[in-house]
Amino acid sequence: MAENDNVSWEAIAGNSKFIELKNKKRNFLFSWWIVSTIYYLLLPVISGYFPETFNVKVIGPINFGYLFILSQFVVAIGVAAYYAHVANKDFDRLTKQLIDALK
Amino acid sequence: MKNKIAALTIAVSLCVSPLVFAAAAPAVGTAAAAPAASIAAPAKSAPAAATAKAAEAPAAKVTPNRGITIGMFAIIIAVTMGVVVWAAKKTQTAADFYTAGGGITGFQNGWAIAGDYMSAASFLGMSGLISLYGIDGFMYAVGPMFSFIAILLVIAEPCRNAGKYTLGDILSFRSSPKIVRGVAALSTVTVSIFYLIAQMVGAGKLMQMLLGIPYRVSVIGVGALMVAYVVFGGMKATTWVQIIKASLLMGATTVLCILVAAKAGFNPVTFFTDIVNSSAIQEHVRMNVLKDVVPKDGFNYGQRFLEPGLFLKSPLDQISLGIAWALGAAGLPHILMRFFTVPSAKEARKSIIIALFLNSSFFFMISIIGFGAALYLTPQSILAVDKGGNMATLLLAQHMGGGAGSLGGDIFLAFICAVAFATILAVVSGLVLAASAAIAHDVYVNIIKDGKADQHLQVKVARVTSLFVGTSAILMGLAAEKENVVALVALAFAVAASGNFPVIMLSLFWKKFNTAGIVSGLVVGTVVALSLVVVSPVMTYPKKVAADARKVVETLEKKVAGGAVLTDKEAKTLEKSKVDYEKNKDGTSMVGLDKPIFPLKNPGIVSVPLGFLAAVIGCLLFRDRRAEEMFAEIDVRQNTGIGIAKASDH
Repeated sequence: MAENDNVSWEAIAGNSKFIELKNKKRNFLFSWWIVSTIYYLLLPVISGYFPETFNVKVIGPINFGYLFILSQFVVAIGVAAYYAHVANKDFDRLTKQLIDALK
Repeated sequence: MKNKIAALTIAVSLCVSPLVFAAAAPAVGTAAAAPAASIAAPAKSAPAAATAKAAEAPAAKVTPNRGITIGMFAIIIAVTMGVVVWAAKKTQTAADFYTAGGGITGFQNGWAIAGDYMSAASFLGMSGLISLYGIDGFMYAVGPMFSFIAILLVIAEPCRNAGKYTLGDILSFRSSPKIVRGVAALSTVTVSIFYLIAQMVGAGKLMQMLLGIPYRVSVIGVGALMVAYVVFGGMKATTWVQIIKASLLMGATTVLCILVAAKAGFNPVTFFTDIVNSSAIQEHVRMNVLKDVVPKDGFNYGQRFLEPGLFLKSPLDQISLGIAWALGAAGLPHILMRFFTVPSAKEARKSIIIALFLNSSFFFMISIIGFGAALYLTPQSILAVDKGGNMATLLLAQHMGGGAGSLGGDIFLAFICAVAFATILAVVSGLVLAASAAIAHDVYVNIIKDGKADQHLQVKVARVTSLFVGTSAILMGLAAEKENVVALVALAFAVAASGNFPVIMLSLFWKKFNTAGIVSGLVVGTVVALSLVVVSPVMTYPKKVAADARKVVETLEKKVAGGAVLTDKEAKTLEKSKVDYEKNKDGTSMVGLDKPIFPLKNPGIVSVPLGFLAAVIGCLLFRDRRAEEMFAEIDVRQNTGIGIAKASDH
């Protein structure tokens, strides 16, 4: 506790580097979260209300429904990989710069 | 002293467990009708035609070779107990006990989180659903997999940065700590215990079905091991047991999946063409699922297996379940706790990516196994063993290993049984730890002792609490043998999604959020979710049970009246149905209802928005300037991880 008293949270919160980091993060996280959630909810919506769409055969007996479920896997992994890429590249760098600047 | 006790436990469990298993020998084959897995209620919704068909078929069952299976169980128990002894030596402080001292790497934690998702429900239940209902079963895989996105983007790193051991730690930053910790602990214990009882009952039924071990013996056996893991080894042992199990499970699944794929020449088009052309599958879809006694002209019943709607009938329920998964998993305390075991946000991130990758591969392979079981075993023979299809994976392993009675078949089946056993052990241990942490850390140390407890006392209290929670879980598991546990899993997820998730999110991201918001969000979210589940179709409604029993009685009596002679099995079914009818005809559900009031099995679509709304309204009604001023701290912490090292003396 004693050590924490030395940290001025308000000062850091007002630091321009921190604000940049925070805004970048928020915009990225929430927009990708919302987009991927919409794509995810398309699955129960299409399969439940427009099942005939799922029945369209694409390759032999493999239909759109099966491929659409697989695409959910691809999208989830894709979003996660992209997030990891941006976080490793931008967020971690900005965080490090901020911490260095505070020293 | 501690090590001696741990060593003694190993000795005892090594000697006792196989003996207990062996003693239960003669009861093999009382094929329990209830599904071992808790993913859904397939047994209940299995078509009546299927029931009749299963009754006519010769009494089929899975018959693992007892010697080999018990040998493999013993190996798993021995290895995990070795881990416990090793972990017990390293567990000295509260941080060691709850978070393995932050010494788990992202890679290891990824395997452990993936292991939390690979329950018996997904391993046995999902493949079974696919083998009976085709693509609808596969859709169940998407929710768990997608839940990682919410966890990765908005929960894992902020919680790692701002948290310590429990949900209460994250929520009590800028609120009245005692009230918030109390409510958070209550919610954590509720969610974990619901989930835990469902797992215990599943474990008991599974062991009963596989090896004929009596229900009570399996629940007590699984419970004793679980208590030993947690009490002596804390988070370190719990994590490593989970990692070991996840590797075994991934290994077994991969081998089985490759064997299935090899049979189709690794060509997906051949594989699915074979499924569509399988006369057994066509007949199953026509007779058992769609109940078209006279085939419709030109209707492709094989292709229908690859189209949605055979099992999932209510789109709204699917959306609701989808919401519960997407947010609920992120609010499960035993998952949340895993982010505290890694040293940094970067490692937390890495662990989710690894878990997502492992789980996607796992679920994909499970779908191949499910379709493979339908193709190579036929849905009819899977139904004959278990109405819910829960034995599909096990039967397929036996078949692929060389068939029943062959050495290869026996070994592969025994291995899969042992993995299923390890799966249950690992999942229940994590749940006991999460519930214990809430009681010991939030309630005892921070509320009763005002945070003033030395490390020695904290660890001691945590151990005693785990023992208490574990013992209660065993007792409740024993009492719940005949209960409908599917409702409990629905409850756990609904409460996590509607109560926990909104308040975690708002605490981390909303400046105005405060004590009143946390309390009203948690209470309203939990109460709404609970009340909706209690009046939903997942509960047991005796009048419906009676009506179903009556139908069976009428069918069979008509048969007798028509001059047919009933087989022994049919005669038994008739007797049982008559008793069921008498017992249930005047009954009502737990809350005195004849039929459900709320139409959906999953309350998420209603309870999640209400949880959020309550949190926001509660917070705005009782504005708290101090909480708003203190937002800077949590904002900086969760975004940057500054102050993370000092969290230990917070």
